[in-house]
Amino acid sequence: MLFQFEGVTKTYGRVVALDNLSVSAPTGAIGLLGPNGSGKTTMIRSLLGLTRVDRGSGQVLGMDFRRRQLDIRRSVGFVPEDECLFPHVVGVEFVTYAGELVGMSTKDAMQRAHEVLDYVGLGEARYRKAESYSTGMKQRLKLASAIVHDPKLLIMDEPTNGMDPRGREELLELSRDLVRNKGMSLLFSSHLLPDVESVCDQIIVLGRGKLLTEGNIQQLKQLHNRTFEVRLKGEGRPFAESLSGLGCVAKMRDDALLVEIPEGRTQQMLWEAAAQQQVQIRTLREQRSTLEEVFLKALGQG
Amino acid sequence: MTPVPQSLAAQSPTAPSPTPQSVAAPRSIVEFHGVSKWYGNVIGINKLTLRVPVGVTGLLGPNGAGKSTFLQLATGQLYASQGKIRVLGQPVWNNSAINRQIGLCPEQDAFYEWMTGWDFVHTSARLAGLSRAAARDATERTLDAVGMTQYQGRAVRGYSKGMRQRTKLAQSLVHDPQVLFLDEPLTGTDPVARHDLMTIIQRLGSEGKSVLVSSHVLHEVQTLTPNIILLNHGRLVAEGNVRDIRDLIDEHPHHIVLICDEYRRLAGRILSWDDVEGVRVLAKEKGLMVETHKPDAFYSRLPQLSLEDGLAIKEVYSDDDSLESVFKYLVNK
Amino acid sequence: MPIFDQGYQHWKGHLSGHGWRWLAIARHGVRIGLQGRVFRIVLLVSLLPALVLATVLSIWSLIERKSDLVGPIVQFLSSMQILSPTVAADPRQYRLEVWTLCYNYFFSTELTLSMILIVLVGPNLISQDLRFNALPLYLSRPLRRIDYLGGKLGVIGAFLGLAIIVPCLVTYALGLLFSLDVTIVRDTYRLLLASVAYGLVIIVCSGMLILALSSLSRNSRYVALFWVSIWIVGGLASTILEGVYYGQVAASQMSRPPEMPRGRDARRRMTPADLEKQQNWAEDFQTRMAEASKTDWRPLISYTSNLSRIGRELLGTDAAWRKLSELQPAQMRGRVVASNAGPLYPWYWSAGVLAGLFVISVCVLSLSVRSLDRLR
Repeated sequence: MLFQFEGVTKTYGRVVALDNLSVSAPTGAIGLLGPNGSGKTTMIRSLLGLTRVDRGSGQVLGMDFRRRQLDIRRSVGFVPEDECLFPHVVGVEFVTYAGELVGMSTKDAMQRAHEVLDYVGLGEARYRKAESYSTGMKQRLKLASAIVHDPKLLIMDEPTNGMDPRGREELLELSRDLVRNKGMSLLFSSHLLPDVESVCDQIIVLGRGKLLTEGNIQQLKQLHNRTFEVRLKGEGRPFAESLSGLGCVAKMRDDALLVEIPEGRTQQMLWEAAAQQQVQIRTLREQRSTLEEVFLKALGQG
Repeated sequence: MTPVPQSLAAQSPTAPSPTPQSVAAPRSIVEFHGVSKWYGNVIGINKLTLRVPVGVTGLLGPNGAGKSTFLQLATGQLYASQGKIRVLGQPVWNNSAINRQIGLCPEQDAFYEWMTGWDFVHTSARLAGLSRAAARDATERTLDAVGMTQYQGRAVRGYSKGMRQRTKLAQSLVHDPQVLFLDEPLTGTDPVARHDLMTIIQRLGSEGKSVLVSSHVLHEVQTLTPNIILLNHGRLVAEGNVRDIRDLIDEHPHHIVLICDEYRRLAGRILSWDDVEGVRVLAKEKGLMVETHKPDAFYSRLPQLSLEDGLAIKEVYSDDDSLESVFKYLVNK
Repeated sequence: MPIFDQGYQHWKGHLSGHGWRWLAIARHGVRIGLQGRVFRIVLLVSLLPALVLATVLSIWSLIERKSDLVGPIVQFLSSMQILSPTVAADPRQYRLEVWTLCYNYFFSTELTLSMILIVLVGPNLISQDLRFNALPLYLSRPLRRIDYLGGKLGVIGAFLGLAIIVPCLVTYALGLLFSLDVTIVRDTYRLLLASVAYGLVIIVCSGMLILALSSLSRNSRYVALFWVSIWIVGGLASTILEGVYYGQVAASQMSRPPEMPRGRDARRRMTPADLEKQQNWAEDFQTRMAEASKTDWRPLISYTSNLSRIGRELLGTDAAWRKLSELQPAQMRGRVVASNAGPLYPWYWSAGVLAGLFVISVCVLSLSVRSLDRLR
């Protein structure tokens, strides 16, 4: 059990940030989704013990977050969303200081800082001042400072915001490696659904302070058993019409066809039709809802 | 050698029907002829010649590629060191009249924080030259279009990031410009707002306006439009429809994935074809990844292959066509 | 040979309790503070008064021992009328007073240098963290706000401690060594404690004040400006107001100064009676001014005056001057005390002002650091 909330409520004045929220998350990579104002930030803050909740209880890694905040923060790393820096230090001093602040001795922190900087890929740049880094490098530096004390849970708040494609790719690669190969649990809060999908297995969707959906991504993206997404070379309409003639329900969406084949048949009938009409099928996939659809549907219910 | 394909017809496949202009020769809204811009010794843009057509176009490139310099040159904020820039047939430098036709949604967050959202957009409308009554109407319409009517009375100071982006987009649209430059319009917005704003941008493109969207989030650009302009190190790398660009990248073979129960037998059959360069087994997915330089010929043989004895192909796809892989290939060369 | 994994390794080490966290923050702050070249130079300069103090005390100790090394110095000072024969005859009687005055002068120069040190290193302490948004990085780690503030105060404490407290201790030890007389400790141990206490008062009061100011703005230039205005403008305002006040007192209470012969040969023409009249008038003037200063609130405006008033009280400077004034003829005693001791208003007024500022600083700090752990 990674963390658990039971009946947690938190209000700021008139605004209800968390409304009787009860959720539990297993270890692994969990995506935290939700529109603005849904309580994601408040949830993260209460996990770190930075906000006191009005009602309810909860645990992080088995520790009560109302009482043992300092112990929790020893086992949790946090990569904040905003631009954050310790001023006037070079990269390696930055990470060493970050380690010292958790309680590592200076020697341990320095050794570990170099190890972690190797891992995130900041080679010679670590001897330059942190203010001179590009956005991607700053994000990786933040990540390095968050994992210097080997936390069991890493919380990342919008990590890929504003990064160029290469930087985004590298950061996601690092996140995936940490989760899949090194056994770290990850709470990934982001608005960019494809990023969440590429790193996480589970998601938690919040809306207006309540839990809307949670679960395994693959299970939530329902499989439509007999519907296929088909893309052809050239015009799709004649093919669609011929398929309708064969008993399928075919409709156009953007530049693809969504075909529902009748009971008892398989994709082979599509190949047969293609062979007959000399049509090139370039894409044939079972239709799955996208994470965006899952998300919007969950919001619609909330 | 990286190919630089010719600009193609200005239509995106998502446009519902062809606009009158594109029936004739494709009209270019923004034209750059041999434009270079340097700052002291540092070069921002290097001999750039391109045409931005009607419709939605994506402007892509890694950090430092010159995208912001490009946008500043196109909106007349910078003077080109070399070359000519024309928007709607007129030069942009020192031409304040053209600003009536141009809308810019910048990346930076620069608001007058004490103004309400309504005030801000109304002021922008008045500054663009609209009369008071026209500005009032336009402000109401635009704020409604971006979904900010509910919050228009609140000071910008109290807006969340998503609301700020919507307001920024509203001020760029309020005077109904012919050309729109959007610099990272969707950063910080949640998926709901993203969906709404993308719909607005697509609609603008289909109305015959020219919208240039600069973004780092490739899958968003992919959803908006297949027409892109790719810059790297201040130079033009590729321009046009993503699929056509892909086809022109000869050296990079196409990767096509086939899922089939009898994948090993399928592999044997496929390897007997001449144009197949390589086959990789994807045991976990029960499929194959095929490499070929002649995708056309490959695809045309698939239906027949599938109908052969027990080789039912359950899925076929290639994510080589995606913007992400084209970008990665072109930028990393 | 096995091939070792170059990727991420786990770490199982010891994490110390959060009680020591302030030390890490203070060390970090000190390291950053020392990066500035100007600051390093000023820090060195601020050690010079300590050198002078050590030299003077060592010389005095040698004078006590009536050592031959300092023979010429004693002769020189006697001839310049600085060292009175009574003192030269029996230095031990005046040991405490001389030490007190030396420390007093040391502190008055050091106070100004401390203000300069603070203006160089203080404003950056919290305002840079605000500007670069380092607070989420601090607060997401296992430390409390009080550790953070304690660490930042520790930076000021380290530098001012080096400039003030360390010299106090070292020079005391040197004076002891040079005189080889253990009875010094019995006479002057209170001076040692008082000087350390005064140093701590400076550190804590001005440290908290600069931290509070630093937490109010992102721009350390504004903070520095604010500090300088408190220090210098306050001092100027206080001096001007005092000048006006004493002028009024003089105008209302004093008669005109007696007529004195003028011109080039004025000195020759002055009779002993004239001299006596002049001296009486001066004495009267100084005593009245000293009386007036007992109820004068104007020095409270100047921050450094407040600190030095507390210092004088702790060190017992006034008593020292009174004893030394007994060396002078009776008519001059009041003058000596009044002109050297400083304003005589009650010390607890200054203590009140400093305590008030301390409380305000604490309130400001607790409010501003709390409201700034934004995680939007």
